[in-house]
Amino acid sequence: MTSANLHPSRRVILGGSAAAALGGVFAGFGVGRATADEIPEALAVENPHTQFAAFHGKYQAGILTEPQAHAVFLGSNVHFDGLKKSERIEKIRSILQMLSSDIERLVSGRGVLADTEPEMSHAAAQLTVTVGLGPVILDLLGQSAAEVGALPPFTGEKLDPRYGQSDLIIQCCAQDPTVLHHAVRALRKNLRGITEELFTQTGFTHAAQTVREGQGFRNLFGQLDGTNNPTGQARELAVFGDDQDPSWSPAGTVLVLRRIEMNLDKWDEVDRTGRDFALGRRQSDGSPLSGDSLSDPVDLQAVNAMGLPAIAAHAHVARAKPSSGAEVLWRRGYNYHAENGSGLIFASYQRDPRTSFIPVQQRLAQLDALNEWTTHVGSAIYAILPGVREGEYLGEFLFTAST
Amino acid sequence: MKNFKFATTLTICAAVLLSGCAQNTDAVTPAGASEQVQSTQAENLRTNETWAKAAEKGMSAAFGTLHNAGESKLELERVTDLSANTVIEIHDTEGQGTKAAMKQHEGALLINPGEDVVLAPGGTHFMFMDLKSPLVASQTSTLQLEFSDGSKTQVQFPIRNFSGANESYHGSADEHEDHGSH
Repeated sequence: MTSANLHPSRRVILGGSAAAALGGVFAGFGVGRATADEIPEALAVENPHTQFAAFHGKYQAGILTEPQAHAVFLGSNVHFDGLKKSERIEKIRSILQMLSSDIERLVSGRGVLADTEPEMSHAAAQLTVTVGLGPVILDLLGQSAAEVGALPPFTGEKLDPRYGQSDLIIQCCAQDPTVLHHAVRALRKNLRGITEELFTQTGFTHAAQTVREGQGFRNLFGQLDGTNNPTGQARELAVFGDDQDPSWSPAGTVLVLRRIEMNLDKWDEVDRTGRDFALGRRQSDGSPLSGDSLSDPVDLQAVNAMGLPAIAAHAHVARAKPSSGAEVLWRRGYNYHAENGSGLIFASYQRDPRTSFIPVQQRLAQLDALNEWTTHVGSAIYAILPGVREGEYLGEFLFTAST
Repeated sequence: MKNFKFATTLTICAAVLLSGCAQNTDAVTPAGASEQVQSTQAENLRTNETWAKAAEKGMSAAFGTLHNAGESKLELERVTDLSANTVIEIHDTEGQGTKAAMKQHEGALLINPGEDVVLAPGGTHFMFMDLKSPLVASQTSTLQLEFSDGSKTQVQFPIRNFSGANESYHGSADEHEDHGSH
């Protein structure tokens, strides 16, 4: 029996909540289900892809973990017309309270309150829902949006306002598209009437376990994407910072969301040598042109048999390579294929884009061999909220400070 | 059995903020202490999965599970809207589908010891008769439940968007606002 066939009884759910109330005995996975006498078989299987993600924790889920196979980025604006400042703040608070309740229920395999299809959330598919606030909301709540850093215009971008900045971002990821889309619909249904949707960006990588974990994914150019992403503690440091170099809030981070259109038809015209030259890595196995295997470093000093640089100075990897630890960011991107084009939903988490994403992207916008086939069409930045403990709602600390 | 009850109490306490369960702090009284003092009906009420249907005006409804954790029956006599002062009635639904019709519950709503009464679309529910202010999704409606022994408790009903629960009301003719055209 797979988890998809489970129909948790009310008793199981009650028991699960009680277990959670008793100090997170089952914290980490399966909180919504696990009871001493009724542990579903699925939980005994050590497959992270078929488990429930935890809602409570130091950080929000869906940030540090390897990307799930499917994602939907939901950008919405809050209806503020005619509201006084205090009412606007109260509105944000109630939205965050509702989202917290909805997310806690969805990720543990229960539908939201008033869910007409709660059965669609029963399958354990590592669903995570991650919430962030746009600069307007940060300002409203008395936080300095400057600390999150506005994105400057970059050379060559052709931004479409429909993929632009929104008040709220809700990143939904799961290994199963049906579970994911139910969660998205349930969240949207409850936001109807109080927010207006700006965009829904749907992305995908590979079905779980078809590629080796931590080795990135194939983007639509066929390249291995995410090869040089930080891992382990380096990733955590790049995303959340530390006491010396904190993010905008302890355990908070910043999401940069860019929609990069990729001209697949033009890319078709480029031969293998030209492709590898533009990237600085081989399409075949992701190895840098300065080495032989994927794990070899990108060495910009290396020369080929003819004495020329192995990696061209304007190759993508040469320009993107972090010049210092402060420039390291954690890319958690997704491919997209939409009616109006294909490309990459570039999603990067970093403690401070002013020292990382912005200088790196400025270099790339200025000069990057891949620019010939790519166009940035969407751009937004969000303060991602810290994780919460049992009984708290997302962003709660912002309201005790501002009211 | 006692352990189960204890766990249930904890569930309710932990879920208060997010799920809008009963706010009566008396509910956390340890099992041992309640033997000395006869607990009130309100103290024996446990609620779960409570929510109210968002609506601009007219009628709406509140749902959830009411559980009697006590040894004697609960008789819910009156429900008051503390948030907006809208008149609230306890209704039953009879029939199904397009033939479904609501009518006011006769007498007090009875919850037997250890049992649940589930308030659900298409079944028994609390009815907001004529909203004095809109029920807006993401906000919370606070209802006061009053029992036959005079005890009361407040219960939070988080408001959610819901397109169902459109059964017509076969009460008095002047309350047909939402269905006046047919």
